[in-house]
This record gives sequence, structure tokens and C-alpha cells, in this order.
Amino acid sequence: MDLSWLTICAEGQTKGCIPTIQVAYLIAVLVGLVLLVVVGRRSRDLTTAVLTLVPVAIAINIAVGSIAVALRLPIYLDSIGTVLVGALAGPWAGALTGILSNLIWSILPIPGGAGPTAAFFAPVAGVIGLMAGFWASRGVFQVRSDDVRVGGFLSLAAGIIGAAVAFLVIQVTVGLPALDAADPDELIKNQTTFVLMALGCVAVGVVVGWMMSRTVFAFTGPDLRIRTYLVGATAISAFALVFAILRLLFSPSGYFSGVTGLKKDGSPDDFLGGANLTGLALSDPAGLIGAAVVALGVAALAVTWARRGENARLFPVWVGGLTTGLVAAAISAPIAAGVFGGVTGGGTDALVALFRTLGLGVFQSAFAQGLTSDPLDKTISYTVVFFILGALPVTVRTMYSRGETTVAE
Amino acid sequence: MTAEVADAAEAAAAPAAPLAIDGLSVRYPGRKAAAIEAVTVAVRAGERVGVAGRTGAGKSTLALAAAGFIPRVVRARVDGRVAIDGIDTSGAAAVALLGKVGIVFATPANQLSASKLTVREELAFGLENLGVPRAEMDPRIDATLERLGIGHLADREPFALSGGEQQRVAIASIVAMGTGVLVLDEPTAQLDPAGTVGVADLLDELARAGAAILCVEHDPVVLGRMDRCLVLESGRPVALDVPGAALARAWTEIGLPAPTLVRLAAAAGLDPARAFDEAAVAEALRAVRVRPTDSATDTVAASEPTATTWSPGRERAPVRIAIEDLVHRYPGGVEAVRGVSLVIEPGEAVAILGQNGSGKTTLVKHLNGLLRPDAGRVLLDGEPTDGRSIAQLAATIGFVFQDPDEQLFERSVEREVGFGPRNLGIPGAAVGDLVVGSLAAVGLLDQRATNPYDLDLSRRKLVALAGVLATDPAVLVLDEPTTGQDADGVARVGAIVEAYRRAGRSVVAITHDMEFAGRFGRIVVMRDGEVVADGPPEVVFAPVNRDLLASTGLTPPPTARIAARIGLASVPLDVAALLAALGR
Amino acid sequence: MSATTGYFIAGSSWLHRRNPLTKLLALGLVLLSAFLLPPVVLVGLVALVVVAVWSAGLLRPTVRAMRIPALLLFSILVVNSLFFPGATDKLVTLGPLSVSREGLTFGLISAGRVIVAFLASVAFLFTTLADDMLETLIARGASYRISFVILSAVQMVPRMQARAGSILEAQQARGLTLEGSYLRRIRALVPLIGPVMLGSLVDVRERTFALEARGFGARPGRTAYRIVADPPVDRWLRLVIVLGCVGVVVAAVSGILR
Repeated sequence: MDLSWLTICAEGQTKGCIPTIQVAYLIAVLVGLVLLVVVGRRSRDLTTAVLTLVPVAIAINIAVGSIAVALRLPIYLDSIGTVLVGALAGPWAGALTGILSNLIWSILPIPGGAGPTAAFFAPVAGVIGLMAGFWASRGVFQVRSDDVRVGGFLSLAAGIIGAAVAFLVIQVTVGLPALDAADPDELIKNQTTFVLMALGCVAVGVVVGWMMSRTVFAFTGPDLRIRTYLVGATAISAFALVFAILRLLFSPSGYFSGVTGLKKDGSPDDFLGGANLTGLALSDPAGLIGAAVVALGVAALAVTWARRGENARLFPVWVGGLTTGLVAAAISAPIAAGVFGGVTGGGTDALVALFRTLGLGVFQSAFAQGLTSDPLDKTISYTVVFFILGALPVTVRTMYSRGETTVAE
Repeated sequence: MTAEVADAAEAAAAPAAPLAIDGLSVRYPGRKAAAIEAVTVAVRAGERVGVAGRTGAGKSTLALAAAGFIPRVVRARVDGRVAIDGIDTSGAAAVALLGKVGIVFATPANQLSASKLTVREELAFGLENLGVPRAEMDPRIDATLERLGIGHLADREPFALSGGEQQRVAIASIVAMGTGVLVLDEPTAQLDPAGTVGVADLLDELARAGAAILCVEHDPVVLGRMDRCLVLESGRPVALDVPGAALARAWTEIGLPAPTLVRLAAAAGLDPARAFDEAAVAEALRAVRVRPTDSATDTVAASEPTATTWSPGRERAPVRIAIEDLVHRYPGGVEAVRGVSLVIEPGEAVAILGQNGSGKTTLVKHLNGLLRPDAGRVLLDGEPTDGRSIAQLAATIGFVFQDPDEQLFERSVEREVGFGPRNLGIPGAAVGDLVVGSLAAVGLLDQRATNPYDLDLSRRKLVALAGVLATDPAVLVLDEPTTGQDADGVARVGAIVEAYRRAGRSVVAITHDMEFAGRFGRIVVMRDGEVVADGPPEVVFAPVNRDLLASTGLTPPPTARIAARIGLASVPLDVAALLAALGR
Repeated sequence: MSATTGYFIAGSSWLHRRNPLTKLLALGLVLLSAFLLPPVVLVGLVALVVVAVWSAGLLRPTVRAMRIPALLLFSILVVNSLFFPGATDKLVTLGPLSVSREGLTFGLISAGRVIVAFLASVAFLFTTLADDMLETLIARGASYRISFVILSAVQMVPRMQARAGSILEAQQARGLTLEGSYLRRIRALVPLIGPVMLGSLVDVRERTFALEARGFGARPGRTAYRIVADPPVDRWLRLVIVLGCVGVVVAAVSGILR
């Protein structure tokens, strides 16, 4: 039997292979089915209190999600209930909430949404519920700014920054392989290299995070330094975020540097009517210093904010939200690419168009859009849930086994 | 009966009773004081026992314990014993109690399974869970629908029913399961008078059929029809006797404001057990040459709770409301308000009465722009309201909604009350003063740091009221301020209405509570979208208008009814006025 | 379309009379075919579903329902036609933008799949009550408790939306404005969404007690009140459909039809 067709297609290749997106889609479906079976099994152990909470949480998901759709926001806001159940009743209840929300969204006639096709994203919602339960049991909604567990979050944040720095280093030194090569063989080689580089960055991040957790962030008891580190972490994260965005846009090799208004063959470009925006790409070292100054200003603001009261305890919440968002983006991209041709019919499609112009493929632009919207969306959702949990009356919280252990006082 | 003798009698009856509570004490984790302490009561088959008391007296705890939810579902330390049909609830699994005891709460919509499309299926829900064979279900459902008089609702959608209908469906769902013990926690708190009477009738019917009923209630209409009444104060039993006697005793011993009929019976020297028999009370009052004794009026006055009197935060020009030929049509063409014209002068306190569907709420919602007229207009000091948004009108008209949970979202009562004034752009320092003043007026200043959702319904309603008071509006509009409110709360609202009037500002209140309406200087009665009566309460509640009132589904307050029976010329609106009229 | 019964339209067509499980399997077959078989099949699938819907007398509601994914379909076509990476064959140029053949093809295929999925789902939802479908699944071993959660959530959504409406009124009556700067409007979300969520969550307590009092989930052996018809012809239909599904998967994997 000739199995040469079992290879995965490159971009543009149509014969003798299985399209990447179909493979990814099948994997996503598999994940969804496995989740469904496991969640179905575990639902037998759910108490009546949880079974009353889940429909309310699903209704919250749909109600708030409809508002986001109606306002054409670039975020979804359809997982608040899922995260809430994950925090109060555990990961599997959270997964159940997410999966059912998607299924129900698909059977209710809500204009503007994806209609019955929303059900395809159920695995993503399920995983969000799982992660929310996981983070809640790690104390993400409960830790005060002097809690020992904060060390874990700081290490994780350090690891993420480490991975990002590694990626930047690779881009500046070795250079990223071109993902729009015409030759199929070169394309496959480049894709493999890209994947290896990405994995390498992740490995660097893991190592950095692990080392930090054993050294700098290894706290044994309540420690005044913890709060300082938290404030510092908030400032550093703010600095890194703003600096990265500015450099991405305005550096000599950044986005605006490529908008010359001309294509490779010299004819006028399609984007923005052939406008020449290279002037916005500030040349170094002026651009570098400028970006650093602006980022420092933002970081200073972040410090003043984080030092007030217990504001800093939102940092672990954001770390949880961010990681959940990244995972959600990774899983939803193949679904979006495979089922919808990379779009979702919401306000996020403008972002997809943007990434397409940057030269990203169908899968990659879906992933990039997910990477932009999902972490932001999940971070906001986690923050909202944090405040809701704080406002919940004691009589409701105590109905759930985790109501007292995972929720802030 | 002394307490010890009463307890012994209870204990003796215990083994045979479907619901036997013996020396029950419940303490929640983390609280110093016990929620209830040493409560003993046995409810026999066919008996109705009411539970009364102030907010926080432990009534809901008792209800939950009687239904077997404490300590099984709600964690708490329990001493003493609750037995359903002889089964001790503390050790029993849910299955053992299934089909033996049921509970109904105050919010009708929360009782529905929310997963069934018709009332018939809703009743089947409990039978499904019991594993009743399919062939037996329909006969049982039909029998229950018939008994509870809701056969005409069988194919309706549960959520589309009115509150009173939903509550009857909720009770029916439990009865269909064949439960012998029924526990109710303020079942009529959110219902109108017709719904309340419906529930009371239902309980009569069920008791006649042999059910044992324990009913926590504020409403004297329901309490008066119970066989016995238990009164709790700070978790301890104060009285257990026929309703009239128990409430009279509670009044003298703990100052719990007693219902009007109980006070009248006491003033007439009538046996308290007969306090809820209006004919007997009227007869007794007519027979006794009564002088309003100081003690009677003093007790009445003393039971008005002390709270700081509200005083205006700022000087506001009085506002005159003029409604001209107002018409409002709902989509579908139904005319909810048909050409109503009304003028409310500054300093007037107006109560608007009418059945559900009479258009009273629709009319009042035009005052602050929540609804816009299809014809006619609303003028505030000569300026029409169209063109101004709801938020703009909020500076003039303060609207207190019936359901406080539609507004509460802040972490503390203080921040919640401050939300309104902050929205209206009142400067920060003034906001603080307004908040403190409002909270003091509703008697919740000591709860300023509490989370509003940690308070019970009657106090949440007061928080919502304080939130509107703090915006210092020129006109105060109240939508059903007394439903779900205990006697102290009602008195506080009444005091605020009075203070508002004295400050020269108007108050408009929609209410079902006839006694509360009697405090207002002017009553407007609506029926089918039109005003059918408009005048001071003495005129509206006079015997000549009784048929008119009946056609709108209302009855005059108890004092007016008693006065009519006695044949008095005047129409007294409270106990003091009635006694004074008799004294002449 | 009522809020609690979703898309369902009452009727007695041949589609309505089919057992929900049969329809569910048929839906699965159509979806599998749309995504696994070559794109040319899509046209046939659309025709098939449209004929089925027409024969059940539901053509007009189906056409009206198409406005729901309209925006999504538009997005798919536009974004893919105009921004398809690696596109070389330009068909039409409108100013700075141009439509590429590869992009248009890809967009049409994706849109076609969405249309088939939507049409088939809508045909299913128009003729099947969620309650009936769930009862059928429960009879075959699905979790009764999950079914309850689904039905309960479906009824809660319109209630929560209605509540959101009342809350909007109540907060406006306290001076909350919805006009103004972007920041102002975002801040206005808190007093609107807060009571929606907190109020519903607080109700959970009473609802839990009410459900327990009705014996929910207390003991196994739950019987069903709702009777769902299962005509004899449905069993054969289901067999055929399952065989069809297997056939489609085999055809796709073996590449016979490529």
C-alpha cells in the first residue's frame, strides 16, 4: 500500500497529501469528543448545586457574548460563566459549562453570531473551563500580594518573557525562515525550521521559569519581598508589552518599514492605496530610545497603580487569563481555518484581514488573530470573574466545595 | 400556657406528627450566635402552623431545617432533632426524605425546574425523579391539577404565568409527589392580594386533605388562617398558640408590631384567639364602651421603630406634575392607559391602587421617561418630559423599583447608595452626607460596609430606597414599597413618605397594601387603564364605594371594614382613629 | 421562533415525524460529506437539503433564517478573496484591492461548507424540539443531568436578556447615561452586567433547594413523561445513514474520489 499521500500538504499543494487544516481540524474534533466523554462520565458526581449553577453560567456566557457581538468588539466575552464555574466547582464542571454553552449557542437563533456552526468551537470552550479550574485551584483568585503561591505565577511570567526574548533574539540574529516561499520543498523545510524554532523558544521559557521558581521566587513563608516582586513584575510586564508593540510597528524592520507602497516587482501595492509609510519606521538608535522612553512611562504608571491597596493581586489573575487565552487561540485556529476559512463573522475579522496583508497564510492568520484577541479576551474575563467572586454572598459560595478554598476573602 | 407545659405537650405529640421538631438549635459556621435555639413544635396531619417574627429571627433557618436541608445541604451545627414521618433528617439521605417533605420559597420563578415546556410536564418533573411508572403519571397529574384548581393552566408555559399562578404551580408540583409535609418560606411575599388569597385558599384545601403545613409569613391575611402560630425572636420561640393569641403576646413581650385586627381585639378586650374573626371584633368593639386607653395607643406608638427622620439634603424647588390625556399602547394594540389626566401638586402624597393589569405601573413609568406616551403628555413644572432622557429626568424624579436586585451591584451598601448621586454629578463631599443621611433614615447605617447581597430581601429593599433618597429627588416614586417588607420596614417607609411630604415634596406610590395606602393624603384607583376613583382615603374607602372598589379587585383596610360593620359614619384609617371614633 | 423553543416550528411534515435520533444522524452524515468529500459534492448537498426542506413546507422560514450567517458568509468570501496569501491569479482589480482566483475558490468552498452546515442544522432545528431530542438520547444512555442543564440553560437565556432590559431601566432611573465618551460607555457596563450576573447567581441557592425538593437526581431509575415517537421506518433509515457515514469516511481517507 502506497502511503506517500499521508504526508501533510504545504501551502498551495493540493495533490497527494492531506491538507494541514484538515488534520488539525480532525485533531480538534477528537479532542472535543474525548472531552465530551470524560465530562459526561464525571457529571455523575456533580451536585445539584453545581447543576443549578451551570445553566445560569451558560446564560451569562450567551447574554454577555451577545452584547459583545452586537457592539462588534474585537473580543468575544463569551467565557465569563465558564471561568466562574471552573473556579467555584472545579475543572470538569467548567469544561461542561463551556462545551454546553457552545452547543446551546448554536441552537438558539441569535442574529449576528455564527448560528448553528458555533458548535464547532466547543472543544475550545471546554479547555477554557479546564484551565480556569486548574488556575483557581492554584489560588489565582485568592492570593493576596504577600502569599507564598505568588512565586509560582511570577516564575511562569518570567518563563513567558524568557520565551518571548528568545524569539526576538532569533529574529534579530539568525532570522526567521520565510513562510511564503514559492518552492514547495523549500516551503516545507522552512515550516519545519519555524516549528523547531518555536519549540526551542518554549523550551527556553520552561527552563527560565523553572530556574526562577527555584531561586528568586522560592518563598517559604509570607514575605515582604513578594509584594515588591509583584509590583516589579507588573511594571516589567507593562514595559515589555508596550516596548514590543512599538518595536513591532515602528522599528527599521518592523511593520511600517515594509509598507513602501510598492510590490516586489515595482508596481503599486494593494494596501492603503499604495501609500508609503516607511517614514513611520524610525531608524535606530532613535527609534529604540523612543520606544524605551514611552514604555518606561507606561511602566511607571503601572507601578503607581500596583502599589495601591491590593491592586497587585490582579497580576496572577492576568497571568492565568493570558495563558488560558494562548491555549484557546492555539486550539481555535485550526477550527477557524478548517471550518470557516479563517474567519468567525465577528469584529475579529478585521484583524484577520490585517494579518493576511502581512503575508500570513490562512492557518497562520487565524492563529495570529486568535493570539491577539484570545489572551486579551480571557484576561478580561478572568478579571471580571475575580470581581464577581468577591461580590458573591457567603451563602452562595459555601454551596460549592471549592467556594471557600479558591475564592478570595 | 407556660413555655414548659407547651413544650411537654409538643413533645408528647411528637412521635405521631408528620413533622416533629424537638429542641432544635442551629448554628452556622463562623457565627457566634445561634440562628435558632431550642425550638420545639410538632405539626400534625391536617394542621397549619405559621411562623412569624422579625427579619433575622431565624424563620428561614427553621424552614430549611424542617425541610431537611440543614445540615445535609447547608453546613451548620445542629442540636436537637427534626423528624419527618419519624425519620431523623440529620442522618437521612436525600432519597429517604424524597416524597415526604417539600419546600416552597418566596420567588415564584425560582421554584420552576426551568426545563419543561408546559405546566403539565412541570408537575411530571417530580414524578419522573421518583421513578413513577409512566402509566401512573397522568392520573396523578390530573388529580393534582383538579385539586389545586389550576386545570386551565395545564398546557401553558410555566414562565409565561403570573407570579400567583407560578406559585400555585410550584405548590402543585410538590403535592403531585404525594408529600405529606409542606414547608413554605414567605410564599406570598411577591404576590398581589388576589395571589395571596389564592395561596391561602390552597393551604386550606391541602390541610383539609391531610397535609401538615409549616408556613413562614409576614402577611396577616395568611397568618390569620393558620391553626397555630409560632413567633421567633433572635432564634428563640416566644409564643406558640392560635395566631391571635401568639401575635398579641409577641406584641406585648417583644414589641413585634401586631396586625391591626389583633390590636383591635386587644383594645376591645376580645379573646385573642378570635382576633381574625372580623364579625366578632366588630361586635366586641360595638359592645364595649371603649375609651382609647393610653396603654393601647402608647403600645401602638411605641412599636413604631426608631430611625432618624429623613430631612432634605438640599433646598429644591417644588415640582408640579401634570399628566394630560395620557394614552399608552403596548405592541399588539392593547391600551394599557386610556386617556388619563392627573395633577399632583408639590407636597402631595398619592397612592395609586389597582389590580395587576390596571395600568398603574404603566402610568407611573411615564413620569421619569421609562415609557413614552403614544398620545398626551407629561409635564413637570410645565415642561414636557419628551426630549429629556431617563437619566436627565432622574435628577428630578427618584424611582424606586419593586425588585431591588435589579439595581444592586456594588461591594458595599455605602458604595451602592452613593452610585446614584455620583451619576448625577453631585460633588463628592455632598455625596458622603447624602449617603449617611439616607442610610440613617432607613435604619441601616450600621450595615454600611456589608455586601448588599448578604442582606435579606426586606433590607435590600431599604438599601434600594436609600439609594434613591441619596439622589435627593424632588419627587419620590415608589413601586410596591411594602411587598416582601416586614412590619419595621413598612413603618420606616411610611416615616420617609411623611417626612418627604412635610418638606414640601411629592410622593407617588404604587401599592397593594391598603393599610399602607391609608397613610397617604390622596388615593387614585385605576381599572382597565382608567382612573375610577380619586380622593382622600376617607372618601375612597367609605362604605358607599365598596362595590366600586370590589370591581377593581380591592378591599378597604381592616379598620375601615370594621368601622363599616359597626356602622360608624367616619372611615378610620388606623387603629388610633378607629378607637378615637368609638370613644366619641 | 419562541425564545424557549428556539428555532422550532410546529408542524406534521415527514421531517417532523421522524425520530430525533434519525435526524441527528442524518445531520451528521451531511456534515461529514460536506467536510470530507471533494467540494463539488457541496452543490448536491445544498440541493438535497433544500428539496427536503421544501417538501416539509419550510422553505420560507429557511430562506428567512439565512440572514443569520449572512455576515459570516460575507466575511468568508471577502476576506479570502481579497486577502488570500500566495495568490497570483488576479481576476478583478478594484482600486487598491483585487480578487484572486485562489482566494475566491477557497472562499467559495468554505462558504459552501458553512451554508450546507447551516441549512442542515436549521432543517433539523425547525423540525425537532430540544426536549424530544434529549429524551431520545437519554433513553439511549445519555446523561439525564446534562440534558436538564441544557434545557434549563435554553430557558434561562431569554429570561436573563429580559432581566438585562429591566436592569437597564432601573439603572438609568438612577442617572446612568449611555451616551458620552467611549470610556464612559465601557464603565457603564459594570452597573449593567453586575446585577445581571449577581442576581442570577444569588437565585442559584433557592433554585438548588427547589430542585432537591423535587427529587432531582436523588435516585437512579428516572422515568420519562415525554413520549417520543419512533416509527418503524426510522430504524431502517438510521441503518442506511450509518452505513452512509462509514462510506463517506472510507471514501475520504482512501482518496477514491480525489
